[in-house]
Amino acid sequence: MLAVVQVLISGVALGCVYGLVALSFVLIYKATETVSFMQGELLMLGAFAALGLHLGAGWPLAAGALAAVAGTALLGAAFERIALRHAVGRPHLVAVLLTFGLGLMLRGAVASVPAAVQETYRLPLAADVVQIGAVTLAGGQLLVIAATLLIAALLTLFFRATRTGLALRALSEDARIAALMGVPVARMHTLAWALGAGLAALAGLLLAPLTFIHLNMGLVALKAFPAAVLGGLTSLPGALVAGLFLGVVEALAGLMLPEGVKDVVPYALLMLGLLLFPAGFGAGRAGR
Amino acid sequence: MSLLLKLALAAGASVFLATVQAAPATPGVTDREIVVGTISDLSGPIALLGVPVRDGLLMRFDEANAAGGVHGRKIRLVVEDSGYDPKRAVLAARKLVQRDQAFAFIADMGTPVVMASMPVIVDAGRLHLFPFSPHESTYLPLHPLKFQNFAPYQTYMEAATRHMVQAHGYQRSCLLYQDDDYGLEVMKGVEAALGKLGRPLVDKTSYKRGATDLSSQVARLRGAGCDFVVLATVVRETVAAMSEARRIGWKVDMLVTASGYSAQTHELGGAAVEGLYGVSVLPHPYAEGANKQLADWIQRYRKRYGVDPNVWSVMGYTLADMFVHTAEAAGPQLTIDGFARTLEKFDFTRDYFGSPEYRFSPTDHLGNRYGRLAQIRNGKWELISDYLK
Repeated sequence: MLAVVQVLISGVALGCVYGLVALSFVLIYKATETVSFMQGELLMLGAFAALGLHLGAGWPLAAGALAAVAGTALLGAAFERIALRHAVGRPHLVAVLLTFGLGLMLRGAVASVPAAVQETYRLPLAADVVQIGAVTLAGGQLLVIAATLLIAALLTLFFRATRTGLALRALSEDARIAALMGVPVARMHTLAWALGAGLAALAGLLLAPLTFIHLNMGLVALKAFPAAVLGGLTSLPGALVAGLFLGVVEALAGLMLPEGVKDVVPYALLMLGLLLFPAGFGAGRAGR
Repeated sequence: MSLLLKLALAAGASVFLATVQAAPATPGVTDREIVVGTISDLSGPIALLGVPVRDGLLMRFDEANAAGGVHGRKIRLVVEDSGYDPKRAVLAARKLVQRDQAFAFIADMGTPVVMASMPVIVDAGRLHLFPFSPHESTYLPLHPLKFQNFAPYQTYMEAATRHMVQAHGYQRSCLLYQDDDYGLEVMKGVEAALGKLGRPLVDKTSYKRGATDLSSQVARLRGAGCDFVVLATVVRETVAAMSEARRIGWKVDMLVTASGYSAQTHELGGAAVEGLYGVSVLPHPYAEGANKQLADWIQRYRKRYGVDPNVWSVMGYTLADMFVHTAEAAGPQLTIDGFARTLEKFDFTRDYFGSPEYRFSPTDHLGNRYGRLAQIRNGKWELISDYLK
């Protein structure tokens, strides 16, 4: 029983990271109808940037982390201004391929630093162990869970209570009418890319204590994307819930199911989920 | 035919003959140099191994050249970067064969790279020496041009597992493995060892390459009551598995393959990996406690490259050293066949690095089959057994 609880919490923590990355997919998709295939690279870049500022330039960890998230968000905005903006109105594939290309460039840029290719790193973030009753928890896991709750709350507040958030929501409902109502569409697109990039970087930082910082850590996006789809691609709570679902199912399947089946089950459930909720968790059964 | 034409023809013929005679009998070997090629990974996923190997090779060849070369010939190493991409490796092999006329290929890196480029090299009649690909096809079936130093994981993991189980009396051995060829090969070795001892493999569980979290796997093995876990992991997953086990208070013995025998494992893992067993095919060159010769070598390496050497640097250096000695012994009339037949007779005794003996024969082109056990004690790998036969 103890093992189940222990593994369950690991699954929740990892599911939170899936959920956060899925959120970044959804944020961008909602506002711009583009599936971004560079989220994994942005995540890796964010983690490396924090690491570089902390270990390389000697900044305090908190300042480095903040600067890394802000910097990655700015980069997302810059990408939108320079490249992605020109893909609006063209076939969807153009923007998708653009994000692919930008992702490859990011990866290439990080890989050109020899120290990044040759070593794996650990961020000295929440490395302690917390004992609650008989359950031993890693500080990193608690941090991830707490941070995810906080971000979910902040995003809810942003989308419900601020004009900008409302504008973004209006944009995702119907871009043309939103524009007619005076929503500055271009600026909102920039904001959406910046938010998406910043969120990915943050997920990278939170993933760092669970795993390590290395060139291929962006592969986690391969898990997060199905979560985003399962969540409905346009629903923020849906993405988060689907991420959690995937993390927990994966962890429990690894513990309980026989070898060989455990890797299939999460994806089989994913398909079942899509079958039952064709428009995603966010739309509920009504989406059928 | 006029006299002039006859003369011109004669001159032409003699020039032609002279060119034919002067053409080197052996590709890549002239009076002044021997060209050796290597296809490494300097920019891809295993660049962290490729770079030190190349540096080790270069260092040894430069030392040989500074000492006057081999029978007056300088060794020139031509390095090509495949980025771990088989397509690029094939192009690199063709370039080295045709344009550089490489006499031999040494220390080509990565199984996919070697599988793609080895046919090109061997079909061109060039030596294929000591690739970093612990795969049987690099020395079996016996081929006059293929030589290998590194045994398949299966071979030495069998010996290591058998030794560990016998010495510690483990009753419930388990396996955590990467879900690919590497993991499966280790599994074969572990199963063979346990089979010989008449014990079962109690439980096994896998992870996908690039997995981030091993908590469910570790919990599962703990649930199965394992008292010994073999890890077919690389550095990151080794640290993750050990940290997870220690975090949940599970003090089980773990043994990792040579892929986890790296200074990075204890640098990254810290206290959590203390006590981890590993298999070593060559000791890590720690400066502290080094013998005189090794300490000198570490000094030279540091001075030249500005970084500390690791076990991969030692491997590169050792392989180049074997090449130099064989070329010396093959005599001034260096040919590909002569080199290969000399290598078949050569015994490489143990050196100041603590390497195993490498021995080839006309019927066996695998130089060494043995690994030795090591354990992380006080934050570094300590060798705890000799090479296990």
